[in-house]
Amino acid sequence: VTSVSYTAFPIPATAQSYSFSNVSVEGAQRVSTDTILSYAGIARGQSVSAAELNDAYQKVLGSGLFETVEFTPRGNTLVIKVVEFPVVSAISIEGNRKVSDDALMPALQTKVRRVYSPAMVEADAAALTEAYEVKGQLVATVTPKIIRRPENRVDVVFEVSEGKGVEVERLSFVGNRSYSDARLRRVLETKQAGLLRFIVGRDTYAEDRVEFDKRVLTDFYTSRGYVDFQVLNVAAEFSRERNAYFMTFNVREGQKYEFGKISVSSEIAEADGEEFLKVNKIREGQTYSPLAVDNTIERMETLATKKGIDFLRVEPRVTRNDRAQTLDIEFVLVRGPRVFVERIDIEGNATTLDRVVRQKFKTVEGDPFNPREIRDAAERIRALGFFSNADVNTRQGSAEDQMIVDVNVTEKPTGSFTFGGNYSVSEGANLIASFSEANFLGRGQKLSFNLTTDIEDGSLTFNFVEPAFLGRDVAFGISAGLGTSQPSYAEHITRRAYISPRLTFPVSENGALTVNYRGEIAEIVEDDDYIDAGYTYPVQIQNDIDAGRLTTHSLGYSYSYDTRRSGLNPNAGMLFTFGQDYAGLIGGDTDYIKTSAEITGEMKVWHEEVTLRATLEGGVIDADGDSRITDRYFNGPSIIRGFEPGGIGPRSDNNDLALGGNYYAVARLEANFPLGLPEEYGVSGGLFFDYGSVWGLDDDTGIIAGSDDLNWRSVVGASIFWTTPMGPLRFNFTHALDKEEYDKEQTFDLTISTSF
Amino acid sequence: CGEYAPRENLEGYPAKDIYERAEYEITQKDFDDAAFYFGEVERLYPYSDWAKRALIMQAFSYHRDRDYENARVSAQRFLDFYPADEDAAYAQYLLALSYYDQIDDVGRDQGLTFQALQALRVVIERYPNSEYARSAILKFDLAFDHLAAKEMEIGRYYLKHKHYVAAVNRFRVVVEQFQTTQHTPEALHRLVESYLSLGLTEEAQTAGAILGHNYQSTPWYQDSYKLLTGQGLEPKVFENNWLGAIYRQMIRGEWL
Amino acid sequence: CVAQFRNHGYVPSSEQLAQVVVGVDTKDTVADVIGAPGIEGIRDNSGWYYVRSQFRHYGAFEPKEVDRQVVAISFDSRGVVSNIERFGLEQGRVVVLERRVTDDNIKGVTFLEQLFGGLGNISAEQLLQ
Repeated sequence: VTSVSYTAFPIPATAQSYSFSNVSVEGAQRVSTDTILSYAGIARGQSVSAAELNDAYQKVLGSGLFETVEFTPRGNTLVIKVVEFPVVSAISIEGNRKVSDDALMPALQTKVRRVYSPAMVEADAAALTEAYEVKGQLVATVTPKIIRRPENRVDVVFEVSEGKGVEVERLSFVGNRSYSDARLRRVLETKQAGLLRFIVGRDTYAEDRVEFDKRVLTDFYTSRGYVDFQVLNVAAEFSRERNAYFMTFNVREGQKYEFGKISVSSEIAEADGEEFLKVNKIREGQTYSPLAVDNTIERMETLATKKGIDFLRVEPRVTRNDRAQTLDIEFVLVRGPRVFVERIDIEGNATTLDRVVRQKFKTVEGDPFNPREIRDAAERIRALGFFSNADVNTRQGSAEDQMIVDVNVTEKPTGSFTFGGNYSVSEGANLIASFSEANFLGRGQKLSFNLTTDIEDGSLTFNFVEPAFLGRDVAFGISAGLGTSQPSYAEHITRRAYISPRLTFPVSENGALTVNYRGEIAEIVEDDDYIDAGYTYPVQIQNDIDAGRLTTHSLGYSYSYDTRRSGLNPNAGMLFTFGQDYAGLIGGDTDYIKTSAEITGEMKVWHEEVTLRATLEGGVIDADGDSRITDRYFNGPSIIRGFEPGGIGPRSDNNDLALGGNYYAVARLEANFPLGLPEEYGVSGGLFFDYGSVWGLDDDTGIIAGSDDLNWRSVVGASIFWTTPMGPLRFNFTHALDKEEYDKEQTFDLTISTSF
Repeated sequence: CGEYAPRENLEGYPAKDIYERAEYEITQKDFDDAAFYFGEVERLYPYSDWAKRALIMQAFSYHRDRDYENARVSAQRFLDFYPADEDAAYAQYLLALSYYDQIDDVGRDQGLTFQALQALRVVIERYPNSEYARSAILKFDLAFDHLAAKEMEIGRYYLKHKHYVAAVNRFRVVVEQFQTTQHTPEALHRLVESYLSLGLTEEAQTAGAILGHNYQSTPWYQDSYKLLTGQGLEPKVFENNWLGAIYRQMIRGEWL
Repeated sequence: CVAQFRNHGYVPSSEQLAQVVVGVDTKDTVADVIGAPGIEGIRDNSGWYYVRSQFRHYGAFEPKEVDRQVVAISFDSRGVVSNIERFGLEQGRVVVLERRVTDDNIKGVTFLEQLFGGLGNISAEQLLQ
């Protein structure tokens, strides 16, 4: 449409200077004369040299408001003739089906009400085609169109013609001996167009994704000992008629290497090599993997920090002996550069207090800069769960040995508040209200209330946790509750009020101790419907009912040793907990010692695809006299799956009521694995085997014979995990292998799958 | 209300009518719709004299509607098109205000305070004798105070956790870069506390002297004077009633 | 219950410190040899101080500073090193901190804002309870 016209301003050979008594502007409608003057920067009557005049000309043109600019001196008046660019009145993109307007609009520089410029519109068209390229639609073309409007306005229309998406029809590998095509396909991002191709977006061919796939493939091989692995080339043939690509990855695996001799040498006086060697866990003959090396470096650097040696860096020096296919690693301890953390600046925390984020740093301003510690702190900040995004990066500070740590967070909603009520003729009106906030008043505290006020099951519970009690690494929690409840297996009603403060603090690197007190007033009452229907309670329950309202004061502790996150082997972890509650120690009507223990091990095997988990769990209540039904163990999904709540264990002969047991023990073996479906669905599967029992009763009169003995039940089952936006759900399908005839089976169950 | 259905195509209506409609919306305190109509005037009649007035009124309406992002965009467009206009000062002021007013919403986030300071400084330096300069200076000081408060908050965090080096450096930033704010006397007292805790009594006396010289009448000077002359409170064994400490820190969220 | 120790700050090693000569070295040479100081005094040529402290974290107790080394280098008016001192925790004084705070009129989020902010969000736990 237009190009910048050749400047009509003849530059005379000799340096001539002008002075203008006035300046007249022609052709400017929207932009006022003094605006142009302010851009030109020429005052009236001021003497101006040719060069200065040219500068003024460039500045006015540079304002980007005018299509053409002409300076013509006429005697002592300078005439500035301009033609203004039209203003953009509307922008629209037509013909885009696969990519929405909102995805494309931000890429445009041209804005409504701003000036139209042909160069900018060309750039926008290119930006749109590039946006399509990233999505893999290579054949999209974008042509900009201009519609003239009155009042010197224009509408800009980008017409897009989308070709059919170019899909990767087949994905194959050449030269892979150790791992099958199918296994490697699962490693890559680009997926072969499977049956559900219209849903899966990632099976389209895109240049930068191939680069990413090459790197993923290399990482996969090198971490399994193939040090010389190389992707020779990626051949992609485009078949015109099928409108799809055939991709072949040509790879050379090389030999699989193992670890040879491991040694440590120290170039720092206060670091003794022998001591650092003890920390190394790599055994000779183990398959080489860069992860194991990095792991050992981390253990050594952690030891250095613990021993107070600053600026220690571990440099691995690798010597290859190709004949034996082993790699000898020498870890050299060197003095790193002397760099300090000058400032830690936190931004984006609209409601969260600065200290809630800052206390996640073990590093303090002024400390030596330790990149590993900063990375761990970033992990701890993300684990808070208050931020949708938290990136921690470092930049140079006021001197080259000073670093500034920038923490940039974006907050996400951390609370939920549901409010409802219903009215039913039989039960009258009742209210349901629940409020929970994970970052209360931005202090990182957790607060939640739950209120339900219907006749049978009314209850009010309250919970509060302060994770940094008095600014220390100590969590203070208090929960309280008041209400009546009647579990599905029970014919009696329990009325109870309790309050329980607790304190949790670290006792060693992976160990933590919780001490708690629990004060409770509980009473077991008859259910009128049950009595009106002419039933009577078994003697055990009747005794508890007759006992009336009892108070319990119990002091308890629970020790937990947890190496899952902080452990050094990322693929395996263990959680061991052991706890006891002493009731009656400091008064109260009930008197028992309740002990529970659990040990769980988890391992990722078979290239970290499959997770194996084994749990051993047990509990015993040793009451002075008969234990109360509210204190005994009842089966539930958290103990043995495949049975109804209270479905196994001691039962009364009269009316077949569950009485609960003084002991429970269970072993659970689980394997979780992907089902081969693309990850976007968030669906995976699992198999499990439970073997356990609930048994033991102080007063066994009138019970089903042998129901209080130790009879092992075993169940095998399959589960489907589905991560929904509301949370991870778990569907369990079970079949009992051996059970007692009076047990109550339940072959299907839906629960929330807590990753242990 | 009004004869136009809101937001439908106003192509045929004269600029004056749309402008009056926008002014009507302002009287109804419906700033969101007002901003839309002023925007339409500028879009449909960009070269009319109405466009200029509509643009500045659009920025004003967005700001009143607390839609600070759009307020900034409109104000910046006004400054691009009419840099020499007598309303340019107001546009620049509106731009600064829309950063400044967001500080209240963002409370703790200091990123925006910094941008507010820069925008306010442009108003003060480029339009010193406009009627907005005075209130810009006032708001500049308040925003400046916000930044100083942030440094103090972090300094106290480190002081409480006995990281005296980090605390001293933070309080020195306040004393050196934020002297004009109301936090300087407290910063000087905190320096006295920190230096004494490290045993650098000479430095503590210097800080106390500066505090006494410039801020004699403040309670902070009294505290420092007591500390420096040794009559400071003896630390009781149980750190003055730990129950009170739990109430203050856990319930009221105070720092100590 | 095992105590954990954490170190903070930095103090030059004795060999490095030995290279600093009183009366000869200036601020620049000192900075090259042993690095910039942790903190400085407020006046222009006041001293440079390097501080290193070790904290003992034990159970639920407040972390306690169990060891502190301070290296103080003072300079004369010409900026030449006039004295090097080393002292420890015993020189420090236990100071009772003043609780008063200068009001920072930063408005935080109020309980009601947060209460209604969460209106309507539902989490899985609530559904399956």
